[in-house]
This record gives sequence, C-alpha cells and structure tokens, in this order.
Amino acid sequence: MGSNEFSLSGKTALVVGDSKYWSKYAGVALAEAGADVAIAARNTKRLEEAAGEVRRQGQKAITIPTDTTDASQVQKMVEQVVAEFGRIDIMVNASDLLFAKPFLEVSEGDWRRILDTNLTSAFHCCQAVGKQMIEQKKGRIINLLSCLAERGVENFAAYCASMGGVLQLTRVLDIEWARHGITVNAIGTGWISEVEKTEAPQEELLMKYMPLKRYGHPREMGPLLVYLASDTTDFFSGQFLYVDGAVMSHL
Amino acid sequence: MATGNGTLQGKVVIVTGGGTGLGKAAALLMAKEGADIVIAARRVNAIEQTAREVKDLGGRALAIPTDVTDGKQVNSMVERTIAEMGGLDILLNNAGIVRGQVPKQLWELSDEEWRLGIDTNLSGTFYCCRATMKHFVDQGHGKIINIASGNGMRGSRGDYMYGTAKAGVINLSRVLATTFAQNNIQVNCIAPGFVDVRHMQPEPATGEVTRTAKFIPVGRFGVPNDIGHLVLFLASEASDYVTGGLFPNDGGGLAGGVAPTGYAPVIEMEED
Repeated sequence: MGSNEFSLSGKTALVVGDSKYWSKYAGVALAEAGADVAIAARNTKRLEEAAGEVRRQGQKAITIPTDTTDASQVQKMVEQVVAEFGRIDIMVNASDLLFAKPFLEVSEGDWRRILDTNLTSAFHCCQAVGKQMIEQKKGRIINLLSCLAERGVENFAAYCASMGGVLQLTRVLDIEWARHGITVNAIGTGWISEVEKTEAPQEELLMKYMPLKRYGHPREMGPLLVYLASDTTDFFSGQFLYVDGAVMSHL
Repeated sequence: MATGNGTLQGKVVIVTGGGTGLGKAAALLMAKEGADIVIAARRVNAIEQTAREVKDLGGRALAIPTDVTDGKQVNSMVERTIAEMGGLDILLNNAGIVRGQVPKQLWELSDEEWRLGIDTNLSGTFYCCRATMKHFVDQGHGKIINIASGNGMRGSRGDYMYGTAKAGVINLSRVLATTFAQNNIQVNCIAPGFVDVRHMQPEPATGEVTRTAKFIPVGRFGVPNDIGHLVLFLASEASDYVTGGLFPNDGGGLAGGVAPTGYAPVIEMEED
C-alpha cells in the first residue's frame, strides 16, 4: 500500500478489543500507512508490545487498558484518545474471543461471555466512538470479524452468533451514519494463524479443504484495512469483505 | 405439507428435462396432486415413459420431444401445450446437463463447448420463460420454478460453464420475479445439492450416514423427491406470496462451507 492515495498520514486510529492478534497487526498496518494509533484492550503486556511495533514504524502510539464489555471504561477510553490525539479518524473494532464447544454443553456463562466480549463490546465502542465521529462529521469504522459471521461450523454456535451480530450492526450503522460522513465496513477473516498449524489430524483435514492450502497470517488483513481507512473510500460503506484464502467462494 | 389432496387439480404443468431424475420425480408428484403434465426433453423414450406413468396416476400427459436450446422448438412446444392441454399454469425448468468440472484446461475450451454449456443450462431456461410469459401475463397468473444449483452460488474448481450458467439462472429468476410480480406471476429458484438421480426411490433412507456422503451435513445424498416436494410447494397456491426466492435444498451444505463437514474442534476461551 505504498501509494499516496491510501496514505493515512496525519490521521489517528483506535484499534480496540483484541490483543491476541489484531492490536499488533492492525496497529502496524495503520502505522505503516502513516497513522498514529491508540491501542485499547485488556491485556497490558501485549498492548505494550503492539505499541512498540507501532512506534517502530515512526508513529505515535498510546495504550489504554480497557475492558470493552464495560461501557463506562469504553467512554473513558474514547475521551482519553481524543485528549491525546484530538480526534479519532479510524476505529478498528476487533473484539474476538474464540470459543467452540458442542452446543448442548455451552453454559449460560459461556454464552454471555462470548456475546459480551464480541458483540456487546462492539456496541459500546461503536456508540462511544460514533458520537465522536458524528461531531467530526467524518469517520471510518472497520469491524474485524470472522467469516463465521455468515457461515456455520460445528461447535461454534456462540461465536458465530456473536460475529453475525456485529455484521448486522455494521449494516445498520452504515445506513444510520452515512449522512454523517461515517463509513462502516466489516472484514471477514478466514482461518488465521500466526504459526504453522499442521499437527492435529483435524487441522490437516481443514488444511486440505482450504483452496490456498494454508492458514492466513493476521498481517494479511493489513492492506484491506488501510484501504477501507483511507480517504478513497467515502462512497464505500456497509460491506462485508473477506480476506479468507477463497474459503467463502468455493462450493 | 399434505399430499394427494389434489392441490394442483386442473393445473397444466410443463416439465423440461422430465424424462429422468428430478424432473421425473417432480412430474409424478405434481401428477399425484391432480396436475396434467407436459414433458419436454430430447430423449423420446424417457419422456414417453414418464408420460405413461403420469397417465397411470390418472392425469393427462403429453410428451413433446424438445431441444430447449432451440428457441423455435421451445415456442412450438409451448404453443402445442396450450392448444392440446387447454392452458398452461406452471413451468418447471429442469433441463440441463449436470456437469461440474470440465476435464480440460480453461484455455483448451472451444467457443462451441462454452456455448453448449451456457445454452443448455441458461439459454434453455430463458427460452422457456420467454415462450410462456406472455400467456401467463394474459391470463393473470403463472408460476415458474427454475432449477439452479449450489454451483451457481459458489465456485467449484474447473466448473466453468455449469456454475456460470446456473448463476445466470439464479439472477434471471430474480429479474423475472421483479418484472412480473405485479402480473401475479411467481418465479422462484431451487438450488439442489448433491442428488443421486440414479435411485428413484421416493423416500430417503434416514439414519445411515454413508461414507461417500460424509461431506454433506445430513449424511446422505439427496433423492429426487427431496427436490420434488419443494417443487410441489412452489407450484401450489401455498407459495402465492413467494417470489424471487432462492431455495437451497442441499442437506445443509451451503450453511457451512468454510470447513469440511465433521470438523468440530473444541476451543476453550483464552484467559487474559
């Protein structure tokens, strides 16, 4: 994404929700394109690591330990970003707690935790950041989801429901906020891994099934993220785009 | 849905490709509901056999040898239907060549092979819709049921013509549904999954998951009547408010598709 068309220079981004992959890889992608990045999630150690990677790109980074399932913490997070950066041009919402278990064994607690972490967090973040973006009369919201927002896989009921919820939230906010200059899009990731997974026989089965015969690396979401965050996408909203190694397109 | 109640009493139906498989199963189910059936396909013996079986069920039947890729043949088939059967109410576009992967490289495909694949599976459906639509508009009602495929919704390796044509059938159905909705004409599409047309057994064998069908969530291939019953619903007045729909009937396959059937990991929530 070397072109100036996609430059995020002078922009400020908030990457929120997940410290497992996305804080780092989304943060770095946006920083590479020139944005300063605020990173908010629960895990402080990983947050600092992600911030370090952003700074290595020569951009400003701040970390805000936040439990996004708590609306008041999210509100404070937004206030802090605005206090430090002046505005929020881009929000990447990446709440992504993975969980799979046979449906009959899913407890009330499991269900609530997945829905709270993945869906209610998105509600809190979109509401708090959206308010700020409406004042700015411009904004980019990108929800980082899984392809399981649209498709089922055995044992993933709670996770699929949570992702599907954020996808529909995306489509509604796109319509509600288009007139405020805010675009809202979602990226659906396929099977992702930071490391080679070839051990378990089930994983082999999955590998054979994937058209590209490999997992995606979280850094492969970066270019699309930058594109959707850039000034070239004023007319591009409400879409669900896949970075999935073609798993969604094949029969 | 109760069957055998004469839901389609007095209705005239054209079934293209009705000599075997899905078309035949649907034709016989509709005949049981009292419909009169016109079977239009190329294979004379097969369509005459279906016609005999329809008559055995007490319905009127007509076998009209037709190559649906020829618009003129289609026109005269429809004219003859209306003349001899006294009307036309329902069209089931089922004719086509089921062929997914082509045993050739893309760059080896000739213009003729491309056209044949598109003509049989898409143009034939268009010709039949074109030939019947004016009649439907004039009489103020009509139903068209187009057989598409999951291959028309997702890509399948090396499936150049079949999948592309079926995708065309899906959108043609939507266009026709939209255009003729106000004329009380319903146009719907069925996307069958893997249907084993070699076995005409009326009811599926349940409970047994065969090894070869393991990739289908319900664990078995479809049988022609799986599709036939959906045709019956879309042909009957039960579906009078249903138009422009796309109905997969595939044992659950399209609901998944990001992991092989049977892939069922257990993943604990990661503690912070």
